[in-house]
Amino acid sequence: MSPIDKKRQADLQIIARWVQSGERVLDLGCGRGVLLEYLKQKKSIYGVGVDIDFDKILSCVKRGVPAYQGDIRSILATFPDGSFDRVIFSRTIEQLDDPDAVIAEGLRVGRRVTVGFVNRGFWVNRMNAFLKGCHTINEVYTKPWYESAPSNQFSISEFESFCHAQKIIIENRVCLAGDWRSECALLPNLLAGYAIYDIASSD
Amino acid sequence: MNDSEPAPLIPEEGEVGFVDFQDFVSAEPFRFVSGGTIPELRLRYETYGHLNAAKDNVILICHALSGDHHCAGVHGIEERKQGWWNFMVGPGKPIDTTRYFVICSNVLGGCQGSSGPGSINPETGKRYQLDFPKLTVQDMVQAQSLLIDSFGVDRLHAVIGGSMGGMQTLQWAIDFPDRVGRYIALASGARHTAQAIAFNDTGRQAIISDPAWKQGAYDPDQGPDQGLAVARMMAHITYLSDVGMESKFGRRRRNADESKEHFDVEFEVESYLRYQGASFVSRFDANTYLYLTKALDRFDLHSPDSLDATLSVVTAPGLVVGFTSDWLYPPQGNREIVEALLRLGKDATYAELAMDFGHDSFLVRAPKLYELIHHFLAR
Repeated sequence: MSPIDKKRQADLQIIARWVQSGERVLDLGCGRGVLLEYLKQKKSIYGVGVDIDFDKILSCVKRGVPAYQGDIRSILATFPDGSFDRVIFSRTIEQLDDPDAVIAEGLRVGRRVTVGFVNRGFWVNRMNAFLKGCHTINEVYTKPWYESAPSNQFSISEFESFCHAQKIIIENRVCLAGDWRSECALLPNLLAGYAIYDIASSD
Repeated sequence: MNDSEPAPLIPEEGEVGFVDFQDFVSAEPFRFVSGGTIPELRLRYETYGHLNAAKDNVILICHALSGDHHCAGVHGIEERKQGWWNFMVGPGKPIDTTRYFVICSNVLGGCQGSSGPGSINPETGKRYQLDFPKLTVQDMVQAQSLLIDSFGVDRLHAVIGGSMGGMQTLQWAIDFPDRVGRYIALASGARHTAQAIAFNDTGRQAIISDPAWKQGAYDPDQGPDQGLAVARMMAHITYLSDVGMESKFGRRRRNADESKEHFDVEFEVESYLRYQGASFVSRFDANTYLYLTKALDRFDLHSPDSLDATLSVVTAPGLVVGFTSDWLYPPQGNREIVEALLRLGKDATYAELAMDFGHDSFLVRAPKLYELIHHFLAR
């Protein structure tokens, strides 16, 4: 596995730690189905991926992962409350319109919601913005602004204040340092490059 | 000459080549869902590839409304046209005949050699015509299951089909959950929309209002050719897309305008549709057209309770494929099947291909569709 692939899969092991075996998992923005394949092997889950792109769905088929090609909000609306044990947004939230509404839908459909994201507050990202005034580029977001999809990046502190305001319970949190491997406990909003949360609705 | 070149890793595509059809005859009376019976069941079919010793490598292909059992290869050296899914079926192709034993039968009610309104009732020595029992997609699948039994095959590796074939595929997964290893339904749906029923009925009215139809009691050589051709022309429009027709024909003309008004072929698209109508008449039976379109209009997986209730018995992994430009069986109708399956916790995949060929997209050779089917069958 290349270092970039390793970094792209930063949250695999952490999410696998939280997932109970046999869980029903919905992975929104599942990409090539790597996470679900991993969880299927390690935790014998029933997992379904959702992605808008045909080629991603094709990759899921190659991996033997059930997948649905379509819009995240439309598919969420078709599921009754509590259909899944866990709904995962791994680097997906920042690509969506109305993140608050989608997270609320995720919390309705899943008993737990797992969110993984690149921390916009990470000092390197701040320095890039401060010194060069430029858009975040790293091993995962490799493209300059003119080749990128609109991305609504947010920081650890922004996410936590959102959860607080929405009365969303933070069940688990892991912040990773700039290498996206070692855990970072100190001043995460400044020093962590990546964050993974397990959240649940308070009602 | 260096002949020690290593074999390619990916096998080259080959052709099925010359094929012959066979007839399966069950001397037992066949009972329809409607309660009607026919004294014997006859299905014409073709096979490609070889049945393995374990008898677990069978793929059943279900054809669409105007299709037949001849989906790959050619019948003779003078035949220029290959089977209707030749690009999909053959050595090294997605439905790989070096691995799978492929069966495709003319559907019950069809007119290419299987029992249908145009076939002879052995009890009376006459054609069934409108005495042929009311037909459903369930009956088609039930008849196919008897054909599969005749090979001593318990469980199919896969069932696959597009359009009406996709509906049969879904019906297989519902009626025979223990006999289906996986299924692929292309450009289909859980039921017809009002628009699809409306188009079908307009086609049926074209046939019925042709004086040559004679309440279905026509001589096969003097059938309602005009009505059937018009039905086919109209249905053919629903199989294409506006973008596809525009790029294929646009406003191109066959003949220049003349000073005197005439209603001969003027535009290229008229010529194409008239040809489609005329060639259809030479190979299709009008009563079969009436029976099959009715069976499709009545097909409804939302009934008697709900789509979820109907699909709850499905156990096999499924792949449903919609096509963006298909307005006859639109993506939403394909998608809702997978949405229901996922609500039920089933293993189901929905993929959507952006192709401009309308409903007929599944009959068009496209690398992405190719790859998708290849990998789903291999999983």
